Amino acid sequence: MRFPRRPRLLAALLLTPLLTGCFASSGDDGGESTDAKDGSRLRVALAFPPAENLSPYGADATILSRLGVTEGLTALDANGAAAPALAASWRRADDRTWLFTLREAVFQDGAEVTPAAVAAALTHATEAKPAPAALSGVTVTAKAEGSTGVRVTTSAPDPVLPLRLSSPSLAILSPKAYDKKGAADPVGTATGPFELTEVNGSTTAGLDRFDDYWGGRAQASGVDARFIADGTARANALRTGQVDVAEAIPVAQAATLDADTRRETATTRTTSLLLNAESGVFKDASLRAAARAAVDTSALAKGVYEGHADAGAGIYGPAVTWAEGKRVQPAGRAGAGKPAGASITLATYDNRPELPEVAQVLKQQLEKAGFKVTLEVREYSRLESDALAGKFDAFVLARNTLVDTGDAVAVLASDHTCGGGYNIAQLCDKTVDRAVAQAGSTADAAERQDAAMAAEAAILGTDAVVPLVHQRVITGVGTEVSGVLLDPYERTLVGTGTRR
Amino acid sequence: MGSRVGALVWRVGLAALLVCGIGLLPWLSQTDPALTVLKARSADRDPTPEVLADIRGQLGLDEGPLPLLGQWLSGLPRGDAGRSWISGAEVTPAVLQALGVSLSLMAVALLVALCTAAAVCARTLYLGAHRRLGGRPVGGSGSAVVAALPEFLTASVLATVVGVQLGWLPALGWYGPQWTVLPALALGLPAGAVLGRLLDDQLPGAFAEPWAPAAAARGLPGRSIARQALRRCAPGLLPNLGLFVVGLTGGSVAVEQIFDIPGLGRTTLQAAIAQDLPVLQAGTLVLVALAAVTTAAARLVARRLIGPALRDGALQSLHRPTPTVRRILPFVYGLLLSVVIASGLPRDPLALDTGARLQAPSATHPFGTDALGRDVLARIAHGALDTLLLALTISALALVAGVLLGFLPTLSGPLVDTVNAVPPVLAALLVTAVRGSGTTTPVLAVAVVAWAPLAAHTSALLRQERATVHLTATRALGAGPWYLLRSELLPAVLPPVVRHALLRLPGVALALASLGFLGLGAQPPSPEWGLLLAENQPYAERAPWAVLAPAAVLALLGALAVTAAGAGLRRPRRRTEETSTTEQAAPAPESAGAR
Repeated sequence: MRFPRRPRLLAALLLTPLLTGCFASSGDDGGESTDAKDGSRLRVALAFPPAENLSPYGADATILSRLGVTEGLTALDANGAAAPALAASWRRADDRTWLFTLREAVFQDGAEVTPAAVAAALTHATEAKPAPAALSGVTVTAKAEGSTGVRVTTSAPDPVLPLRLSSPSLAILSPKAYDKKGAADPVGTATGPFELTEVNGSTTAGLDRFDDYWGGRAQASGVDARFIADGTARANALRTGQVDVAEAIPVAQAATLDADTRRETATTRTTSLLLNAESGVFKDASLRAAARAAVDTSALAKGVYEGHADAGAGIYGPAVTWAEGKRVQPAGRAGAGKPAGASITLATYDNRPELPEVAQVLKQQLEKAGFKVTLEVREYSRLESDALAGKFDAFVLARNTLVDTGDAVAVLASDHTCGGGYNIAQLCDKTVDRAVAQAGSTADAAERQDAAMAAEAAILGTDAVVPLVHQRVITGVGTEVSGVLLDPYERTLVGTGTRR
Repeated sequence: MGSRVGALVWRVGLAALLVCGIGLLPWLSQTDPALTVLKARSADRDPTPEVLADIRGQLGLDEGPLPLLGQWLSGLPRGDAGRSWISGAEVTPAVLQALGVSLSLMAVALLVALCTAAAVCARTLYLGAHRRLGGRPVGGSGSAVVAALPEFLTASVLATVVGVQLGWLPALGWYGPQWTVLPALALGLPAGAVLGRLLDDQLPGAFAEPWAPAAAARGLPGRSIARQALRRCAPGLLPNLGLFVVGLTGGSVAVEQIFDIPGLGRTTLQAAIAQDLPVLQAGTLVLVALAAVTTAAARLVARRLIGPALRDGALQSLHRPTPTVRRILPFVYGLLLSVVIASGLPRDPLALDTGARLQAPSATHPFGTDALGRDVLARIAHGALDTLLLALTISALALVAGVLLGFLPTLSGPLVDTVNAVPPVLAALLVTAVRGSGTTTPVLAVAVVAWAPLAAHTSALLRQERATVHLTATRALGAGPWYLLRSELLPAVLPPVVRHALLRLPGVALALASLGFLGLGAQPPSPEWGLLLAENQPYAERAPWAVLAPAAVLALLGALAVTAAGAGLRRPRRRTEETSTTEQAAPAPESAGAR
C-alpha cells in the first residue's frame, strides 16, 4: 500500500515545471541557422523593459528608436543639430510655421509615407495624454501641404522645432497603428530598418529586417532584443555569449568585461550637487561657495566612476560638443564662508548605484570643510516630491541636460528658474532668469548656444549647482560585432550597418 | 464543522482586509500614485502638474480609493483583475504567467531544499536507525551556517562561477529545465538548511520513543525505523514547509533579478514601488490563495501521517532525552566573533579613501577594503552592536508574538498564512503607511512578518504535545489548564521554537537592510551588516572579500546562536524519566497509522 506512493510524489515534483509549462519564450535562439549571405540576427540586451507596451509616447519610444524601428521627421546629428530623417529638408516659413519636405519612404505595412499620414501621426501625438515630453509647453498643429510637404505651426514662436521633432516620442507611424482610443501600436507600422514582429511582455521582443527601408537594406537579418533590468545580469549575458550587444553596463561591472568588448560614449547626463538656495544652511551664498570649494570632482570621477566619467566642467559636459569652446567663466561669485559645524541633509537615490557612493564621498569632503552631513538615500519615486518641495539642504542628481527636446535651453528653464517645474535647488535669481529667457528667445543656432553658455555661467555663479561628473555610458559589444551606433543622446544603437 | 466555517470566514476576512489595505495604501501613506506611476513609466519625465493631472484622469484617481476598489472587486468574479496602471495591459494574464514561472522555480527549489534537509539529517537518521544515537553530541553548526547564507550571495556566486566562468549551466534567463538549476540552488539551500535543522532537532526524540527499540529488537531493518522516525517528526514541520512554499513563490526577488527570471516576486515588487494597485492586489491575492491551498494540503498530509494518533491522544512527547552538546563549540564561535569585533573596533569604519578601493586582504586591511576604500574589518566590528541589538530585538518580539499566537491556532492559523504570503516590501509599505517613518517603523516592519513561521511551528508542536499520553495522564490526575500550560506545554514547546527563532536571526538582519530603499532602517554610511552586504553586492565578483567577510560573520552568528541554544535550552531531566514510565501505553506510530 505504502510503497507506490513515493515514486508518485517524486514524479509529481519532477513534472511540476513541465506541467506548468511556464518558461519564457526565447524569441529566436540566436539565429545561428540563418545563412551568411543574408546576415545573421543580432542579439541585444536592453536595460529598460518596456513600461507601457512599447507605446511611442512615453519612455518606451527610446527603445523603439534604439532598435531601429521608428523614425521621426528629423534626427540629431553628432553635434546635437537637427539632421534629415523622414523629412529630407525643411525651412522656416515664418515665426510660427515650418515647412517640411518628405522623402520617398514606405511604412512597414506597405503603405506610402504621405503628408496626410505624417500630419495625422503628429496630430495623434499632440492628442496623447499625458502629452509626449518633447511637446510639453507647446501647441503644435500639423497639416499636409501638396504631395510632399507638411506644414507644422506652433502657437508661439518655436526656434527649436526641428530639434523637437527628432524626439523618439514623435515617431511617424502608419495610419493603421492608431486605434480609436488614441493608443498607438508600433508593431509592423513604423518606417525604420527593422520591423517589430513580436513582443513578449517586458521580457523579449523580436524584429525582422524591413527590406523596403528608404535608407537601404540592413545588414543584420533581424534583431532579438531581451530586456534585462539587472546590470550584472546584462554583463553576464554578454560574457556568456548569450547576447552580442549589452547596453548600459554599470561601472561596477565594467572591469569584468574584456577591454575590447567595452565601448564608452560620453553622454549628456551630468551628475550635480544641488544646494537649496531658498531655505536652510545654503540660503547663505558664502556657505554654498564653501561647499563648492570643498568638493573635489576628480576624486569622484576617478574613485567612484573608476575613470568612466569626466570631472564636472559645467552643466553641459563633453558630449555637448559645442559647449567647451563657448564656455564663459562664472563671475561675481560669493567668497567662501565658514561652515562652523553647520549640519546639512544630503539626499540622493539608489536607482543609479553610483549615486549613494558619490554621496558618501561628498559627505567626507564636506565634513572635512566643516559641515556636519546626514545622508538620506531612498528609491527615486519616494524621494522626488520631498526634493522638489525643498526638504533637503543638498541633493545629488544625475540629469540628462538635453532632455527630450534636444534643446540645451530647456533644462536650464525647468531646473534653475523661479518658475521651473524641476527646480530642486530652489534657485530663484533674477540674473539667471533673465539670461535663460534671453537664450530661450534666440533663434539662430549658434547665437542660442552662446546665450545658453552665458546662462550656464550665471547659474554656476550662484553656486546653487555644483557639477560633479559627466557620465559616460559603457556598452558591451561582442568582438565580432561591428557597426553599433553609439550616440551621446542614447537614441540609437542598432542601424542598417550593424552586423556580426 | 463550525470552527472550520469560522476559520474560512476569518481567512476571507483577512484577504479582504489586505486587499482594502492595498487599495488605500497611497491615501494612507500620502504618496501620490500619479507620481510613482509616472516615474515607473518614465524616470526622466518631469512631474509637471499637467502630466500628473493627465495620469490622474487616465487612472480615475480623482474618484478616490473606494470607487476604484469597488470597480476592481466587481471585475474579480469574472476573472478580470483590471488593467495595470503602468502599462495599461490586462493584469490577470500577466500575474498568472508570473505565478506559473514562480511556481515552477519554487517546485525545483523545494526539491533542492528537501535534498538539503535530508543531507542535514542524514547523520542523525543513520545513527538513530542503528541505535547509536545515545550520548552522541548534536551538530548543527554546518546547517546553521548554510541557513544564514543570504540568497543573493549564493545566487551571485553561482551565476558568476558556475554560469559565467565555468559555463556549465546558463547564467541567466528562463527558457527551459537547465535554467532552473542555479536559481533553485540559491533558493533551496538556505530553506533546506532551516528545515533540516528543525527536523534534526526532533529526530532524537522520535528515536527515543519506546517503539523504536521495540522495533529494533524485533529485527526490523534500520531503514524502516528511520522512515518511521521521519514520519513521526514530519507533521511538526509541515506548516513550516508550507510557509516556505509560499515564501519562495512570492518572495524570491533577489534571485529573480540576478537570474533575470520573470517571476511573481519582481512583478509585485515593481508594483509595490510604483503603487500599481491592480497588479499589487492581484499578486497578493494569488499568493494568499496559494497559502490557503498549501495549508490545507499540509494539514491533509499531517493527518495521513499521524492523524489517528493525534485524535486518540496517543502520542509521545517528542523531545530528545538529555542531548549532549559539545559545550566547547559555542565558546569557540563566541570567541572567534569577539576577536573579529575587538580587532576591528579601534579602526575607523567611515574613513574613506577612493585611492585604495577594492583592495584584497593584506596586513593593513585584514579583510580588504570596500568600493570606497573603507576597511571592511572596521565596518564589520562597528556594525556588530547595532546589527545584533536590532536583530535580537526583532527576534525577541517575533518570538513572543509567535508563541502567544501559536497557542491560539484557530485565530493565528489563517493569520500566519496571510502574513507569510504578503511580500515583505508590501508589509513594510503598509506598516509605514500606518506608523509613518519613525525609528520603530523598520523594527515593526520586519517583526510583523517574522513571527509567522514561529507561530506555525509553535502550534504544530502544540498540537502534537496536546495529544501525548503523559498529558492525558496528568490531566487525569487533576491538573488544571494553567498547570498544564506552565509546567507541561510551555517547557515542551519553547526550546525548539527558541532554537528556530535563533536560526532565523541572520535572516532578520538581512530583511532589515532590504527596506533601505524606502528610507527605512540604516542609511549609508552606517556599517550595519545587512547594508554592508547590500552595498558590496555589485562588487561580489571583483572584491569577493567585501561580501564574504560580512556573510561569514553572519554565518558565525547563526552557528553561535544555534549551538548556544542547544547547550542552554534543554528540557528538565524529569521529563525523560516520565517517558519511560508511560512506555506501556504508547503504541508506535506504525500501528497507529495502520488503523
